[in-house]
Amino acid sequence: MENQDMTKSRYMNPYLAGVGLGLTLLLSFLVLGAGLGASSGLARIAACMELCIAQAHTLSSEYFGKWGQNPMQYYLVFMLVGIFIGGLCSALLANRIKFQIERGKQSSVRLRGAFALIGGVLVGFASRLAQGCTSGQALSGTALLLTGSFVFLICLFVGGYATAWLFRRQWND
Amino acid sequence: MYQLDTLDSAKAFLASLLIGIAFGFFLERAGFGSSRKLTGVFYFKDMAVIKVMFTAVIAAALGLTGCMVLGWVSIEGIYLMPTVYGAYIVGGLIFGVGFVMGGWCPGTAAAGVASGKMDALIFLLGAVIGSALFNEMFGLIKPLYEWGQAGVVLVYDTLGMSKGAFNVLLSIAAVLMFWGCEWIDRRKTGQSLGENASILKTLSVAVLTLAVVLVALGSGQPSGERPTGPMGGVISSESRLLEAIDMAQDHIEPEELADRMLRREPGLVVVDIRPVVEYLDYHLPNALNIPMKDLHQALMPYKNVGTIVLYSNGMTHPVQARDSLYRSGYTNAYILTDGLNGFIERCLTPVSLRDEILPPETTGKIRAWRSFFLSSTAPQPEPATPDEPLPSSPLVDAPWLEKQLNRPDIRILDLRSQPEYNLSHIQNSIALNVENLRTNIDGVGSMLQPADMLARHMSAMGIRPVDTVVILYGDKTQDATLVGIALERLGHTSYRIVNGGFAAWTLAQKPIVSDLPVVVTSDYPATGSDKFSVDYRTVLEYVQSNRGMILDVRPADYYMGVKSDEARAGHIPGAINRPYTEDLVKVNEIPQFKPVEELAKAYAQIIPSKDSTVIIHCRTGHQASQTFFVLKRLLDYRNVLWFDAGWSQWAARKELPVE
Repeated sequence: MENQDMTKSRYMNPYLAGVGLGLTLLLSFLVLGAGLGASSGLARIAACMELCIAQAHTLSSEYFGKWGQNPMQYYLVFMLVGIFIGGLCSALLANRIKFQIERGKQSSVRLRGAFALIGGVLVGFASRLAQGCTSGQALSGTALLLTGSFVFLICLFVGGYATAWLFRRQWND
Repeated sequence: MYQLDTLDSAKAFLASLLIGIAFGFFLERAGFGSSRKLTGVFYFKDMAVIKVMFTAVIAAALGLTGCMVLGWVSIEGIYLMPTVYGAYIVGGLIFGVGFVMGGWCPGTAAAGVASGKMDALIFLLGAVIGSALFNEMFGLIKPLYEWGQAGVVLVYDTLGMSKGAFNVLLSIAAVLMFWGCEWIDRRKTGQSLGENASILKTLSVAVLTLAVVLVALGSGQPSGERPTGPMGGVISSESRLLEAIDMAQDHIEPEELADRMLRREPGLVVVDIRPVVEYLDYHLPNALNIPMKDLHQALMPYKNVGTIVLYSNGMTHPVQARDSLYRSGYTNAYILTDGLNGFIERCLTPVSLRDEILPPETTGKIRAWRSFFLSSTAPQPEPATPDEPLPSSPLVDAPWLEKQLNRPDIRILDLRSQPEYNLSHIQNSIALNVENLRTNIDGVGSMLQPADMLARHMSAMGIRPVDTVVILYGDKTQDATLVGIALERLGHTSYRIVNGGFAAWTLAQKPIVSDLPVVVTSDYPATGSDKFSVDYRTVLEYVQSNRGMILDVRPADYYMGVKSDEARAGHIPGAINRPYTEDLVKVNEIPQFKPVEELAKAYAQIIPSKDSTVIIHCRTGHQASQTFFVLKRLLDYRNVLWFDAGWSQWAARKELPVE
């Protein structure tokens, strides 16, 4: 318990981190004319992989096809790389890098891994359906006061809270 | 500052990388490199997600409103995602389940991988699979993806309140939520707020103060010279109206209007509210003629979009019209100072007739204005012919056409087969077989004729350069657009296509006749400068230098080389496939164009910017003319090129690369 508190205190005050994040978002609006995004970068990677496997099929597919042969030449791909680098810098500075599969003490690697994978599939799919994820919709879209983004945010929490109980085992200590 | 137009530049990529670094840094700082901490919010164990996220949202929202009030940025410069209710609701629910199950969201997972979390890597792998799965299932999901499209909707409009009021409400909600989260966290951990307390108190006060200050600023200062709706200042009260009039913010000077029209400023809507007789006698180029009583309805599409300038001969009527619009929430309506009379006197009086000595700069301007405003629409011996019959998009419907039937400057072309035409057609419409506009050039049999040949066709059909050509197709939209592109080659951009073709006319039960029209031949000049047609050499240059974008609009199986009617199968290297049929929807078996918003959205996802160079081709140029029309005329893409010879030439020239 004490250990946990130690870790906790090393995180930045949530409100200060929030202000930092908000100013980053504002900067993105002012400089790029668009908000932050992460899931688009992943979708571009997916398109790139599909292109490697089946080029003709991908190019003629309705959704990925329109991104052409160089789906990675997209600003949100660069932003995704930036997120990784930024995260790395912060983790290095705070000495927080530790290779692990984060889970509850009673939980198995297999359970946590399976949940992470299936959760990822759902999130990847849902991000395309809603044209954005927590970054593009819930954060950037709500800051722009877009109705759709508020709808997305509310539904995200509804979906999360409604099913949280089903997935609690992975955090059992 | 970059616009969205340039998001595909190296500079924008670098800026995105740097912004991403700041984003990732703060995510990890906040502790979001840990799935356990992230999901804590769903079990009321750690409310940091809500604290960080809502602080960020409120900081960015208030910051952005502040920047707009200060005039640093306008809402037009920021990409606003359209709302799709159904897709977002379902997407949000699934996302929420995936989030609590996987323990991550895409951005935090990237930061998580950076701090060594293997579960984040697995999650990201899943998300990539999920994206690919979406692509594979897109055909099935598409109705859901498009379910509940509502365009760009702002939440304060949805709730029917002002932006300022919503900002205050959001700030209060955020502050309440922060204290609620602290209360939950304190109950769990049993710790007191500690140093958090002072930060949270400062934040609460700052957020609420800022929101209130922005309301005060926002309503006290209309932002810039062109106040528009979604920006900070919402002006509605009568006193604000009087103040604006007092400060002459409701006027636009003739010289300014002349310059802006000369530049062909997009979004500038000039409205002539005089009686139609006077309008036909002379009007400013491209001015719309709208009677006072129809203003509200006719100007709806331009409400707080761009700039509306009202004019009459004098000032009285425009002032009344403008005030009336203002009271209905139009913040972008202006009146022309001194009216049309003043405009002619101040801008169009020849230099030689002026008393005062003018600097050379001014005389140069006057010459430019005179040649622009007096060239085509000046009073002429024959009845004057406006170049824009009525406000209308390049796509029109049957009721619109019916209203234009008696105008002297309308020519209707009917592209159906001869027997169909002879049986029944619209009065005075002229039959045209589109194949008559094509010939053999350079060995390719399906080429659009050169300008001089096309001009002779126009002359024979009695079409004059000042006429508006209205085109009705039979069952092929691309017939209409081929005629359109022939007109474009002559520099004749004033043409309209009846969406749904002749069938739309009969469906609307409009009158038909079987008499042949009386045609007075005209003398159409063979001028016009075709800057959009390219040959295979130009296309090859683009392919080799990897510039521009080649859009192959043939059916997908031809693009993929599964089917072929030509010397070789496949497609031009690097070409992207968007079959022309994707832009159409069939109504009663007759194809017609999809709604412009839908097309705009589809192409925005394919073509990086409105300035991108796009080369369109199909097999013979026929189908490609349709995509050309969609991009150039419906969606205002500026650099659209047409490779007429298309795949039939490319496939036959064996030295050209094929993919």
